[in-house]
Amino acid sequence: MAVTLPGGDLEGRLESYLEGLRNRHGLEDGGVEGNVARVVVKPADVPAVLATAREHLGVLHLSFITVVDREGSFELTYELLDLRGGRVRVKTSVEGEEPVVPTVTGVYPTANWHEREAYDMFGIAFAGHPDLRRLYMWQDHFDHHPLLKSFEISTKRTFEGLR
Amino acid sequence: MLGEERRIESASLAGRAEGRLASPDIRDEFGLETIEMNMGPQHPAMHGLLRLILELDGETVVRCDPVMGYLHRSKEKISENRMYPAVIPITDRLDYFNNIAMEYGYCLAVEDLLDVEIPPRAEALRALTSEISRLMSHIPSIGFLLLELGAFTPILYAFRERERMQSIMEAITGARMMFHYIRIGGVKADLPEGIAEQIWEYIEGLEQRVQPDFVDLIEGNEIFIARTKGVGQLTQDKAIDMGLTGPPLRCTGVDFDVRKHYPYGWYPNLDFDVITDEAGDVEAAYRVRIGEIRQSIRMIRQILENLPEGEVMGDLGRRLRPREGDGFGRVESARGEYAVHVVSDGSDTPYRVHYRTPCTVNLQLLQEIVPGHYLPDIMPIMGLVDPVSGAWDK
Repeated sequence: MAVTLPGGDLEGRLESYLEGLRNRHGLEDGGVEGNVARVVVKPADVPAVLATAREHLGVLHLSFITVVDREGSFELTYELLDLRGGRVRVKTSVEGEEPVVPTVTGVYPTANWHEREAYDMFGIAFAGHPDLRRLYMWQDHFDHHPLLKSFEISTKRTFEGLR
Repeated sequence: MLGEERRIESASLAGRAEGRLASPDIRDEFGLETIEMNMGPQHPAMHGLLRLILELDGETVVRCDPVMGYLHRSKEKISENRMYPAVIPITDRLDYFNNIAMEYGYCLAVEDLLDVEIPPRAEALRALTSEISRLMSHIPSIGFLLLELGAFTPILYAFRERERMQSIMEAITGARMMFHYIRIGGVKADLPEGIAEQIWEYIEGLEQRVQPDFVDLIEGNEIFIARTKGVGQLTQDKAIDMGLTGPPLRCTGVDFDVRKHYPYGWYPNLDFDVITDEAGDVEAAYRVRIGEIRQSIRMIRQILENLPEGEVMGDLGRRLRPREGDGFGRVESARGEYAVHVVSDGSDTPYRVHYRTPCTVNLQLLQEIVPGHYLPDIMPIMGLVDPVSGAWDK
């Protein structure tokens, strides 16, 4: 029942996280910056990479999932914490209007609502999600995804020309 | 109506439903069926605007589905259309019981993208106001828990304390609730004359009052124990799986505190303990909060004893343009880990701001833990999570 959290020196641990991920998966990019082990992977690899992080490397906590609309592609950031000073940041990027990303709820059950929020705000479908409904906005009669850059708000201001 | 299969699965999650549910034979014989019921969003005892869709078998909950969005103000979208400093008052309105932590996280995230040195006095004042803000949140949350259990006195004591702290914060920041005190690069203003002595005096008094007003009055009470002991029982594995942080995680015995394990600001200079408890139920969360009140008092003392001199604002340009990239800020709010992710494209306004509020994540607990409990147990469980409407709805 008791949860064991990792110990020992932080820099060695971050290196071991990066090595562990590099040995098991094909990473597009990776490195240690400060107290973050940062990796870039393909969207299809995300659940496998996160499963390695959780099951083999002991990174137990998914802090959040951020989606950034890059107008044409979406950038997803999965921030993982080992609860003892180390962070693992997994980045991925998907193209297209209505992209599909595999869910990570099987690895981190807490991702359930994070993914529902991402679906609500950006329209990203998470394949295999057990309960993909909107989290904040209306369930019916609302076809928009408000955080897309194409969703214009009436009070949009620009600060050009301001000194 | 739920299928029999899902009902059993859902109820087994909490492991308490055995013997409480009507047996299928009896149900068939008497034609019983489960009842779907709404609790909230305007329920008198509900914390803020949360709607729970409950499926009841008698008085036992077999399914709980939280529905959010009744206070959604799209803070992330608003933040994208404002200049960096103008986002701070928006973050204030996220967790309106612990605003300083919300401002602090956002400012840390923007400072991650700026090369600005925060003066030590500003760091100390940030920690000081954070801890006062934590007290302003923990004390009423104990009051609310007791109010929902039917005890009216503790909420009066709690708001007496909060009122005095609001007066102190008003003297420091100029506002009673939406402080807008922590700024990018420092804090708004230095402490006014004589306020340090006032805080010291107040803290001395509060320390005397915690034991009689919030511990002796509550802890041994038979009704309190009956309503909270073993209710909302969590295990460490479940808490970690659900991504809980803050008192709901610490009451299971996992000693994780952002201030200790991901230190920021002035906290490495302070000596404090991470309070944990083994039981993992509502009563344990209450004990953790009492312990944290004492630790906050201890920290405020240390900050006031060694308050550095000097400026309270770093050297920033007139127009704030953080470099391109990702900025992260993470603080321990009264309810758990609060993180902000700011994406900058080098212009005046953030390209994207993401708030990871602890309330949203901790609320996921309800759909896992409530099935199997009696209907009136929901309120103590809400007291365990202690969510704030503004924070979970963004």
